[in-house]
Amino acid sequence: MKKLHDAHGATGIPDEKGEGHFHTKSDLPVPVGSDLFRADAYGKVTGRERYAADEYPAGLVYAGVVRSPHPHARILAIDTTGALACPGVIAVLTGGDIRGTNRTGLPEMDQPVLADTKVRFTGDPVVLVVAEDRELLRQAMAAVKVTYEPLPAVFDPDSALAKGAPVLHENRKEGNLLFSGVIAKGDADFAFSECAAVREGIFSLPRQEHAYLETETGVAKVDGDGVLEMIVSTQSPFRDSREIAAALGIPPEKVRVIAPYLGGAFGGKDGITVQGHLGLAALHSGGRPVKIWNSREESFVSSTKRHPGRVSLKLGCTKDGTLHALSCRLIFDTGAYAGLGGPVAVYGMGHAAGVYRVAHSRVEGMNVYTNNPPSGAFRGFGIPQVIAALEQVVDMLAESIGMDPLEFRLKNAIRVGDETGLGIRMSNSADIVTCLEKARDHPLWTGRDEWIRQAPDYKRRGVGIATGVLGIGYGPVIPDIASAKLELLTDGRFRIYAGVADMGQGNNSANIHIAGDVLCQSPDRFELVQPDTFRCLNSSSSAASRTTYSYGNALILAAGVLKERILDKVAQLHPLFRRENLILVPGAVRHTPDGSDIALHTIAEAMQEADRVATATWTAPVNRQQLAVAPDVKMYGFPHLAYTFTTHLTRVEIDEITGAVAVDAYLAWTDAGRIMNPHVYEQQIQGGVIQGMGYALWEDFRVTEGAVVTKNLSTYILPTSMDVPDILSVPVETYEESGPFGMKGVGEIGIVAALPCIANAVAGAIGFRVCDAPLTPERILTALRRAA
Amino acid sequence: MSEVALPASLEEVYAIRKREPGAAVLAGGTDLLVRMRADGKKPPVLIGLERIPGLSGIAIQDGVVRIGPMVTHQNLLDSPVIRKHLAVMHEAAQVLGSPPVRHMGTIGGNICTASPAGDLLPALYVLDAEVEISSPAKKRVVPIATFITGPGRTILTGQEILTGIRIPVPDPGYQGFYRKVGQRRALAISIVSMAALLMVSPDKTVRSARFAWGSVGPVVMRFPDVESSFAGRTFGPALLADVGRQYSERIRPISDIRASASYRKMVAAGLPLKILEQ
Ligand SMILES: Cc1cc2nc3c(=O)[nH]c(=O)nc-3n(C[C@H](O)[C@H](O)[C@H](O)COP(=O)(O)OP(=O)(O)OC[C@H]3O[C@@H](n4cnc5c(N)ncnc54)[C@H](O)[C@@H]3O)c2cc1C
Repeated sequence: MKKLHDAHGATGIPDEKGEGHFHTKSDLPVPVGSDLFRADAYGKVTGRERYAADEYPAGLVYAGVVRSPHPHARILAIDTTGALACPGVIAVLTGGDIRGTNRTGLPEMDQPVLADTKVRFTGDPVVLVVAEDRELLRQAMAAVKVTYEPLPAVFDPDSALAKGAPVLHENRKEGNLLFSGVIAKGDADFAFSECAAVREGIFSLPRQEHAYLETETGVAKVDGDGVLEMIVSTQSPFRDSREIAAALGIPPEKVRVIAPYLGGAFGGKDGITVQGHLGLAALHSGGRPVKIWNSREESFVSSTKRHPGRVSLKLGCTKDGTLHALSCRLIFDTGAYAGLGGPVAVYGMGHAAGVYRVAHSRVEGMNVYTNNPPSGAFRGFGIPQVIAALEQVVDMLAESIGMDPLEFRLKNAIRVGDETGLGIRMSNSADIVTCLEKARDHPLWTGRDEWIRQAPDYKRRGVGIATGVLGIGYGPVIPDIASAKLELLTDGRFRIYAGVADMGQGNNSANIHIAGDVLCQSPDRFELVQPDTFRCLNSSSSAASRTTYSYGNALILAAGVLKERILDKVAQLHPLFRRENLILVPGAVRHTPDGSDIALHTIAEAMQEADRVATATWTAPVNRQQLAVAPDVKMYGFPHLAYTFTTHLTRVEIDEITGAVAVDAYLAWTDAGRIMNPHVYEQQIQGGVIQGMGYALWEDFRVTEGAVVTKNLSTYILPTSMDVPDILSVPVETYEESGPFGMKGVGEIGIVAALPCIANAVAGAIGFRVCDAPLTPERILTALRRAA
Repeated sequence: MSEVALPASLEEVYAIRKREPGAAVLAGGTDLLVRMRADGKKPPVLIGLERIPGLSGIAIQDGVVRIGPMVTHQNLLDSPVIRKHLAVMHEAAQVLGSPPVRHMGTIGGNICTASPAGDLLPALYVLDAEVEISSPAKKRVVPIATFITGPGRTILTGQEILTGIRIPVPDPGYQGFYRKVGQRRALAISIVSMAALLMVSPDKTVRSARFAWGSVGPVVMRFPDVESSFAGRTFGPALLADVGRQYSERIRPISDIRASASYRKMVAAGLPLKILEQ
């Protein structure tokens, strides 16, 4: 692969110190739209950047969680005496030691920090132990005795909903049904009878593990003022601080959460992971700092996964290939706790018509509690599951009426102003049509028959396409608010107080790009403060493809405010200069008539501290269309206002001997608004596609009777660089008027179409569909043999 | 924490093991350290073999290739002797693990781990390799198939360590192949693997054929009666398909987390055909 910053002529290179900022060769601002070397790159590759896992403060002690060995059991007794007698033990804590609500979760607060009366999944936290070092901790944890009375358990949504099934949360009147809802338009039932062709498929989608490099970790301590301070790997520091306060019974203003760069998250750290345990341990460690760092195995057991589920989808069209009726029924397994299960189901439902106009539709969604490990947010947020089904049935239907699958999509694809299959008016930027047209004209598509014909012996080839769509932001009800804070330092440089965590996607580097563009400053004049609930302003979570979209908009405003103050100050200091003759240039304000520069540090020194700090708040616009859906469907995020779009194309070769699918080529045309930084954009598409390939072909997080079977990275199969081809990302630029510099979030759209794209190519190659993902060699070969 | 000893001679190794019977021999550590972490058991002493002269190096003499147990997989790949005379082993090393694992892991470790999925093992079996075992008392040389007695089990006892691998150079008329099927293309533990040595005359008549199979039984499997039935037949897809069929019936694979027994049999049935793939 080409060296990105060379190829794109980026101006930024890191300085020798790598102190979180970097030099530019030319000292010029790097305008938004061109490549900017990522501010975090140098520190990360040299190991200088400190992740939460890298924190080892003096006097450190370690905490660990004793977890339930049962999927569902009542706790009869907890005996901590043995553990307390172990050497080096500082505290042994149970649910009874928690002064607050002992519940975390959003929107449902149903997950105990430590189990109180019962456990609901194998791995549910029961006892927290704090000890001097890791070895002593291990010994003390082994000495904890918990007596359980095992209860009947449920391991799939269908049995969980059956009459008389054991109930996980007795206080819920809906039993194990966490959420159910409907989105409908017209009369789908009747409309199917008007169709010339109808196809249907039932697809089973696997659990997917985030498998971020940095497992859940953090350090915490209570300082002399009684403030619980935590440095933790989290996507949601502000929400965490409130949840920790409520769960542990401390005032919110006494909880400080700092979120350094994350070593990956993908949704798995959107909410509480170790925070509750860290906080509780710190409250009982006599003021000493406490560390928790999950092993990979514990991460696998305790962290959330992508919701596994089943999607049944039926689609009908008229004789000329116009989509006419859609019905979709999805049922997800949310595991033992709600997590973001309601919103995940609604995001899935809300994208069930994909990029198409359909006259009539009915989409039903359910999310169900089981005694499985909890499911939660994961890049794509319910949408990959649904698009996986839709885009395969679209191919099936095109085949039924003898239409080319790409022309069929193009015929039904929405354009700006159209109403989607779910009744959403496409008011904002939307260019799936160009994505499809570019795919249609690409040599890999036009030459596909020839390539397929040239398959070598014992191989079969197929070429597939799929489209995808993903709404950005939180939807119409939950306010998506970001507050930026920017400071002119007395040395004339700027400091950006990031409000949204950077889990590796580069959003905080993008802040430098944005502020640099507005203020006409080179990147080396900025430094970044990573999210810190005491220093930065609440800008909500790093999620929903809204990080740069929302914080960027707020930052543009804040930078504008600061710019005005700086120019005002110069005008005030130099009564002979006219305000309209002043402009910002790198490092200075220039008086244009005579070209004289006043250095920024001189101006900064003359400013009041309060004036040097600018803040601004931006609230995302929402879709105000009145669609007839239940309030919870609306609240959980239907409909969105702005959407990203994509068309994927892939060539695959199937090995008839092993059943293995080799992805030979992969292209993604994407409308994510305007590009702010070409190489960061490309990274997001490539990363998303690869994670989608993993979902399609290899990743299968297996759980039997509630217990994790794929316990580590040797049995949970992630793709390696040898398994994926070069992925070509082709941006189809639009201008999104609600986005900063016309951009839309690009973090998630890459994953949504990968599974169906590959599945369509595979179906083309073998002549039938394997509806259970991932499409492992064993599944494909078994199906091939059965078909033969 | 275990103590790590880096003795400079075999005598020192023996002395440490006498003093600390629970000591473990450490080659590249890519199996041992993984196992220690999984079992949560730490031997009191880890005896690193890397400084002992004579345990590394690849030499050819009198028609025998001698390989030191501390030779890494990368050393095997870099060796012209291996490439020229033991192509089957070169191919096996190519698909073992990943670059870091190939730089750390050794042939001795691969043999002593005695995993049915060990990638060098089918090559060693098909080459009729022998291993040299040393102890303070004596040195003995046994065929690889005698050395490995079961999954994770060898005949090593007490003070013994593996000090060499001896491979008779096959007749230059042989061509060697290694074909492995795993769950992905790198860092993959074999689901089925096959090493083959084939001697085919210009008229395509098979003169001799040897096959050894990995991951389809408790140890690497060879069936001399099946092998001998191929001589005299015409080399080509029909023969290879028949080879696959025959072995697929003979092997007794198990189902595990990576693959079912029936998948292993299906794959084995076709694997010989992959000899035709470049
Ligand atoms: C990520 C990863 C991927 C892997 N992929 C593969 C793969 O694709 N194919 C494959 O075959 N293997 C694979 N392995 C396993 C391993 O790398 C190999 O088996 C390797 O050859 C082991 O060699 P080592 O030097 O690291 O052995 P060590 O771990 O040092 O030793 C292994 C065992 O042999 C004993 N031992 C070592 N040398 C001697 C000696 N001279 N005398 C007596 N006992 C001795 C040790 O005491 C220990 O019990 C992988 C391992 C990892 C961690």
